[in-house]
Amino acid sequence: MLKKIAIEKISQLAAVLMEKGTLLAPVKEVSGHNFAEIKDPKQVDLDFYNTIMSPKGAFFPHKEDFVKYKIGKPLSEVEPAVLNLKPAFLFGVRPCDVKSFEIMDIHFDAAGIIDPYWRFRREATTIFGYAYDLSQPVDSADFYNTLGIYAADPEGSDIFMVKKDKELLLKAITKKGENLLPELTVLKDGITADEKYFTEYVNKGKEYKTRFMTLDQEVVAKKLEDIFDNTDFWTKMSAACLSCGICTFVCPTCYCFDICDDTLFGKGTRRRVWDACMFTDFTLEASGHNPRTQVYQRLRQKICHKYSYHIRKYGVISCVGCGRCTRHCPVNIDIYSIVEAALKA
Amino acid sequence: MSNNNPYIPMPVQISKIINEVDTNDIKTFRFTFLNKEDEQNFKYMPGQFAELSIYGKGESPIGIASSPTDPGYVEFTVSRAGTIVPGLVTAALHDMNEGAQIGLRGPLGNPWPIEFLEKKNIVMASGGFAFTTLRSLINYMLHKDNRNRFGEITLIYGARNPGLLLYKDELAAWEKRDDIKSFITVDKGDDTWSGRQGNVPAVCKEVAPSPKNTVAVICGPPIMNKFTQPVFFDLGFSKENILTSLEMRMKCGIGKCGRCNVGYKYVCSDGPVFSLAELEELPRDF
Repeated sequence: MLKKIAIEKISQLAAVLMEKGTLLAPVKEVSGHNFAEIKDPKQVDLDFYNTIMSPKGAFFPHKEDFVKYKIGKPLSEVEPAVLNLKPAFLFGVRPCDVKSFEIMDIHFDAAGIIDPYWRFRREATTIFGYAYDLSQPVDSADFYNTLGIYAADPEGSDIFMVKKDKELLLKAITKKGENLLPELTVLKDGITADEKYFTEYVNKGKEYKTRFMTLDQEVVAKKLEDIFDNTDFWTKMSAACLSCGICTFVCPTCYCFDICDDTLFGKGTRRRVWDACMFTDFTLEASGHNPRTQVYQRLRQKICHKYSYHIRKYGVISCVGCGRCTRHCPVNIDIYSIVEAALKA
Repeated sequence: MSNNNPYIPMPVQISKIINEVDTNDIKTFRFTFLNKEDEQNFKYMPGQFAELSIYGKGESPIGIASSPTDPGYVEFTVSRAGTIVPGLVTAALHDMNEGAQIGLRGPLGNPWPIEFLEKKNIVMASGGFAFTTLRSLINYMLHKDNRNRFGEITLIYGARNPGLLLYKDELAAWEKRDDIKSFITVDKGDDTWSGRQGNVPAVCKEVAPSPKNTVAVICGPPIMNKFTQPVFFDLGFSKENILTSLEMRMKCGIGKCGRCNVGYKYVCSDGPVFSLAELEELPRDF
């Protein structure tokens, strides 16, 4: 099923989605675009390359309240946070970011104990993937081709969108998408030429080239294990690193979190917040022992986690090549170059 | 767990506090469950741990010191942290009295591999405060329903001085039994001490059994482990037959928060119990 709408009327589509539930879509902020809960349909802005922050916050928000408590009161008075389980629509997600959800699903929803917050939000959400604009140049930081992802891959989206001149084509990919699409009455039916355009666009996406290296999961996982103790290599790679952690915060597949108690005047909230393996107290134990006091140890942890440990544990690389960590690193550390160098080390 | 949400603790009440050491900074806390249902769901085995949860302070992962053969309660031996970094939870717990309520999340992690230990001789080498989950294992194995499932049991346990030995009453009781050989030692005795003197690796060298059909469990402070492991290797124990329990900083305890990894293993959900053969596969990142 394929539908379409003029891009200038996108706020009408936004309004329909807002009636049905929570709409999360790119909005223009001071320094770039980010996903935000839409309050005014006119906020939705599809004129973006990719968002600064990844869309993982839709399922794994920066702050997730667990309970509200009162100091000195019995535990029976603790109130678990209520999850907003209204249907949600995550609108305008680039294919590499869509892929990140599948990687995160393995961790939060398929291995061991299930994370209820991730699962419930994921189930309640319909994903509108959005192909990169193939007429625009690719950002030099991106390398999703290396991870086998292409600029117009519909896989993983419930509804996939491509831009056709001044129109937006929307095609249902999953059952969830097929059920929703007919309900969006502001959309017009696509014609045969649109179907053809959509199919060709998806194929053309394969020729839209990002940085690329041949990457065999098994080879890179093993190589990183082999050079774990090559301190010279890791010291060199991390020489400029400030341990600021921005790479982890913008990353669509970084999932580390802290659990904190935030108390003020006898009332408090226990919540989880994003944390980063780049911070020195991440592994500081109450005994005072800390296995990762050095910057090189922490950068090594991050690279090895994504390109070795995650393969060993879950069978996939924990990276989609979205390029955010490279774009936003204040000292131009580039994970792609580190992996490339590691393979030659 | 409460509400089927693995992050929300169940309420427990401190029913007993035992001051274990002269320095007053290690206490055993006995907890009883406020909800009968939670007690029934808290099915644990020796070697597992739980998160002790105090709202306003945080959570601490602590090994379970009691044995499931003693139903109705669960015990944790907790050292008051805070000499180097502030140990908010352990300090708050140490300042609590019997009757106080806290939260508990668990049981978490993997137990000592009971099926692997069955029909084998077990030798345990432990030091100081790292003894807690071995106490659980010993009480489990010595229980009349379980004792004949295991071969000879040997315990080598030491502390810096007599006042720092944990579970003194139980140590005395075990020394009188003939179904466990226990060798309690201190680095340096005092006027009241008539037992052994010498550190754990030295005693192991002297009294450890033959490696034939025997599993060694080594669980002590890093310095003790470092010098005890070679003793068992020299005796002919294989890496597969030496077990230990690791510690790393933890938050969630269920393999989600990404904090306690050593290589591709999370200590919380893949451990904390590992054989030395398993550890050899992992980077030295702990």
